[in-house]
Amino acid sequence: MQTVTLTPKRSPVISIEAEMITPDVFAGKSDAEIGAIPAWEGNEEITLADVFDVAVDGSADAAGTKIIIDGNVPRVKRIGEAMTAGEIVVKGDVDMRCGALMSGGSITVEGNADSWVGREMTGGEILVKGNATYYAGGGYRGETCGMRGGKLTIEGDVLDYLGEHMCGGEILVKGNARLLPGVLNWSGTITIEGDTTLPGGEMKSGTIFVKGKVLEMLPSYKDEGTEEVDGVTYRKYTGDLSRNGEGVLYVSV
Amino acid sequence: MAEMIIKNGVVYDPKNSVDGEKNEICIKDGKIVDNVGAGAKVLDAEGCLVMPGGVDGHTHCAGKINTARIMSPHDMRYSPIPGLSGPEPRTKLLRPQVGYNTPNTHAIGYRYSKLGYTTIAEAAITPMMARHMHEEFESIPILDKLALVLMGSNWQVMQYIQDGDSEMLKSYMAWALLASRGYGVKIVNPGGGSNWTWGKNVTGIDDKVIDFDVTPADILIGLAEANEALNLPHSIHVHCNNLGVPGNLPTTLDTMKLLERVKASQDRQVMHLTHMQFHSYTGTSWMDFASGSDQIADYINKHDHLTFDMGQMIFGPAMTMTADGPTEYRNARMFDAKWSNYDQELEDAGGIVPLAYTPQHFAHATMWSIGLELALLVKDPWKVMFTTDNPNGGAFVNYPEGQVLLMSDKKRQEVIAGFPDMTMDRISLPNIDRELDWGEMTVMTRSMPAKMLGLEEKGHLGAGADADVAIYDVKPDKVDVSVEHEAVKKALGFAKYTIKGGEIVVRDGDITALPKGKVYWVNAYENGIVQTEKDRLITDLEERFKKYYSMQFSNYMVEDAYVPRPVEVRPEVA
Amino acid sequence: MPVIKDVVCTFCGCLCDDLEVTVEDNKITKVGKACKLGRAKTMGMFLHERIEKPMIRKNGKDSELEECSYDEAITKAAEILVAAKRPISYGWCSTSCEAIEKAVVLAEETGSLFDSTANVCHGPSALATQEKGAPSCSLGTAKNYADLIIFWGCNPVHAHPRHQTRYSTMAKGAFTPNGKKDKKMIVVDPRNTDTAKKADLLLQLNPGTDYVLVEALRAIVNGHADVLPDEIAGIPKATVMEAAEMCKAAKFTVIYFGMGVTQTRGRYKSGDNVSSLVSDLSQTNKVVMIPMRGHYNVTGFGQVAAWEAGFPMALDFSRGVAYYNPGETGTNDVLMRREVDAFITGAADPGAHFPQESIKYLYKIPAIQVDGYANPTTEFSDVVIPAAIAGVECEGTAYRMDSQPIRMKKLIETTFKSDEEILTEIIAKVRELKGEGGA
Ligand code: SF4
Ligand SMILES: [Zn+2]
Repeated sequence: MQTVTLTPKRSPVISIEAEMITPDVFAGKSDAEIGAIPAWEGNEEITLADVFDVAVDGSADAAGTKIIIDGNVPRVKRIGEAMTAGEIVVKGDVDMRCGALMSGGSITVEGNADSWVGREMTGGEILVKGNATYYAGGGYRGETCGMRGGKLTIEGDVLDYLGEHMCGGEILVKGNARLLPGVLNWSGTITIEGDTTLPGGEMKSGTIFVKGKVLEMLPSYKDEGTEEVDGVTYRKYTGDLSRNGEGVLYVSV
Repeated sequence: MAEMIIKNGVVYDPKNSVDGEKNEICIKDGKIVDNVGAGAKVLDAEGCLVMPGGVDGHTHCAGKINTARIMSPHDMRYSPIPGLSGPEPRTKLLRPQVGYNTPNTHAIGYRYSKLGYTTIAEAAITPMMARHMHEEFESIPILDKLALVLMGSNWQVMQYIQDGDSEMLKSYMAWALLASRGYGVKIVNPGGGSNWTWGKNVTGIDDKVIDFDVTPADILIGLAEANEALNLPHSIHVHCNNLGVPGNLPTTLDTMKLLERVKASQDRQVMHLTHMQFHSYTGTSWMDFASGSDQIADYINKHDHLTFDMGQMIFGPAMTMTADGPTEYRNARMFDAKWSNYDQELEDAGGIVPLAYTPQHFAHATMWSIGLELALLVKDPWKVMFTTDNPNGGAFVNYPEGQVLLMSDKKRQEVIAGFPDMTMDRISLPNIDRELDWGEMTVMTRSMPAKMLGLEEKGHLGAGADADVAIYDVKPDKVDVSVEHEAVKKALGFAKYTIKGGEIVVRDGDITALPKGKVYWVNAYENGIVQTEKDRLITDLEERFKKYYSMQFSNYMVEDAYVPRPVEVRPEVA
Repeated sequence: MPVIKDVVCTFCGCLCDDLEVTVEDNKITKVGKACKLGRAKTMGMFLHERIEKPMIRKNGKDSELEECSYDEAITKAAEILVAAKRPISYGWCSTSCEAIEKAVVLAEETGSLFDSTANVCHGPSALATQEKGAPSCSLGTAKNYADLIIFWGCNPVHAHPRHQTRYSTMAKGAFTPNGKKDKKMIVVDPRNTDTAKKADLLLQLNPGTDYVLVEALRAIVNGHADVLPDEIAGIPKATVMEAAEMCKAAKFTVIYFGMGVTQTRGRYKSGDNVSSLVSDLSQTNKVVMIPMRGHYNVTGFGQVAAWEAGFPMALDFSRGVAYYNPGETGTNDVLMRREVDAFITGAADPGAHFPQESIKYLYKIPAIQVDGYANPTTEFSDVVIPAAIAGVECEGTAYRMDSQPIRMKKLIETTFKSDEEILTEIIAKVRELKGEGGA
């Protein structure tokens, strides 16, 4: 077991790009080595030590490495990018693209996550205890698939385009999801416990559960009557028929 | 400019019958010369492979590719071939590079150069969009360029053919090359582009074009005869009807036979058929589709009026872009893929669709095999150009992969071993054990494309040639490509030296200098068309511009400002 | 009197290239064939004054702009950019492609963000292109073939006054020899605009429901009209059905879409769904779409940035190679987060078009303006560099809304430097300051 604690030294205004903050990169490294890992602040190359105090306890492989970010880092982007194993706990907010492309391990964000949390993730788990903004579990520009696997949980609310282009995996939002969750989905399951607007736009297949209200419904879904899933009664819709989709949208009654 | 002499290279220069000899190559003022002075800079090739700079006679590198870029921000981060793909930050010398199938202009220049290529031909541009193409040409460093101008669905062309007015046809073709600062005549899906403006297509060379009383066969013959009458350096360059359709073999054979009757004006083919792989399918549907490469090869082995290029497929993501609008729409619907379309007023159609090819799919595995079969079954390498129809069949940075496949049966068998069983009775590749030697490879990647295009200063290392030279870290007399294909592939991807116009632009796989390339274009108008015919043409064009074009006649022609380093080729008037 | 023919109008994305301009004593005295907007632009009749001299503020934002030499202003601009960690270069849509190429180089060498005015208008069209593609055609094809014109979220009567006569509803083409009589017109707009008043059918949808309407149209085209409710986006189902029938009956349909589509709720998702609608409809007849671009060369910006650096807008060169992610790397994305520490803009007026919050922030950071005319942006700029007007005082390339490049002419002489020259000089200065000189 290796525990790496990163304590923020300052509150940058320009976002720090720190895609090297992963158990894969940190595994087996000393505090000095981790502190020397490059990061970017705008067009300036810096090191993690410029932003964090680094404390390392023990040494392990990626799976045995836990990173604790002991504070608020709303301007640190790309934490946990492409991680394959291990654990990251952030005791505050994170900036964009947290956990993008991750394939294994877990990330817990105790505060809020900015846009593209879990972008294109293929495995592992992300838990955001606060809110997330745009494109949670979404894709990269131009790519056909967004999230392909793993689980993304957001305990608060999210804004637009939750799970855009989703091709697999599972998303759970305990609060509300604003506009067009599950837009252009191919597969996977999205559960929204709160309210949402226009879910499932151009969904090809895949499943969306809305336990709260659908504030505005797309016109192109077919009402299939009610159905019970896990003890909850939903109205079941299939679509999106705008593109001959075969997705299923459950809305609680 | 300083003189240079390349010593100790193993030189392949098929045009001058040099087949792996330790000849010295002398360079002066950007040209190959017979000898240089004692003060010439000596470049020791250390026993490595020396060839003329590569010539890509069919690539999509400027114009339509830009829409493909805008469609594929995700492509900019792909890097399947480190050093030749993906994002690379700027350096003091180099601009930033991105992309794989649709790299930015700078990356195109750098990466072709790393491959030892020094000349590229953009394969499809309408005259009206030529200004855009030249802007991109100007931005692609190092390489010399030329453009093939789309004429196979052009209203003027079809009108003059319908009228039987071969003089007007000739005048217009010459004028269109002038207006676009283009080099040769391209025909894509003849007539089909015009029908596509109505959402329709043609299904063979004898179909009627909707708005003109002509058939694809009429268009092919008309343009071919006028091309020869104008004595253009390149023949017509044809993308047949029915690209990518199972059972398109008869259409391709019909097209080849049709051209038997046209006489070449000079020592070259009368028609170059492009990306033959996409046009060599038997069967009636994807279920019973199979390779027709043996029939195509048999025909080509028996006839001398044709050349072709492979259009080799490379597995992985590709970006298809072609003036064949209906094909792209069909692709987009078949794969539920993104689709761009562009119908250029009076001139041609066009479309762009991303695809991905996988060895696990029998159809793709079969297509991959067909490209190689064609190149290996045709006996005379002077009839074959190596291409992937970049980036339709695959990105050009995969050329080393494709080239090594032609040189190593072992490598081919390794790939075939992974194919689904359904592929095996559709292809003949497993039974073809021919392995190209370095001389043949030099023909297919340099000498033949240069000859086929009529570029006399390219594709060879004789005196008078441009001093475009590629030196690879391969010792031809020591390496067995068949076995050591991986090492050879790596060496072909990162030239030891690329010399462009006498200047070392690549050393050990890295770019060292950024000269600007020339643009070749053909002026068959000024001397080739008599004044009375010019007047007749201009009068008609002015009328057509008023009625049908959306741009003023006077604003149409590409201005000199867009071609700052032109090489104007003036065909001899017959 | 010398009349220059076939002049390209450099106001809107129509790029009309048939203007007749009279020049007397190096002054433009008459502009023939242009619309009101084009005439005003070409004659230099603007709300704002010409910037006559380079100017800088010597003592911070509160000090006055003082006249200085080009050299001084260019040096100051270079110093600001070199010192910045997160500079942004914005605009460059009412200038030549040659200038835009230089602006790309400057952005690369200063590790800047680089963005066009599409950030506040048509950016979503590029996003739609990367999601679904751009099924399009040239304006001449549209004029010759189209028998159904749909204006979606745009009002050409006011914004592109000659569009209808040159290219669309009123234009006579090869297969539409009678102009308007051979064409039908649908307008999709929440307002009954002057364009809508002439339409055969107006789909007056509720604001922000474009996406919903596209969904319904696609459902109809794909054979699922039965599931649709009686009212869609505030429009009776029967009317939506009628629109779909008109599309199916037409041989060649062009959808011109404007900011009404790209700047409403759902934004680019509406645009990209229109693209899918085009694809669906194309199964039986021909349909294409063309964005109604405002700034005359915003299309050119996208083209140049794409071929030079890989992406059409919102490029972030901070790490030496472009990263692209509108929403993260767009001008207003970073301004709202107050991440930017230096700002350069050319041939654009962010001061008039940005959200209030962004503008407030621009008053706090060093800003450089390159422009022919003073405008609200001048008020917060620390360095103001006067430029020649492309297409009037210097030549160069511009791309029409249908991506057709045209060469702009030089009509009169000027002592002002062109955007291209100014940028070239700033680049040279930047190299000098960074010790990368020589090149
Ligand atoms: S329509 Fe646009 S381009 Fe044409 S004259 Fe008017 S403002 Fe100029
Ligand atoms: Zn091609």
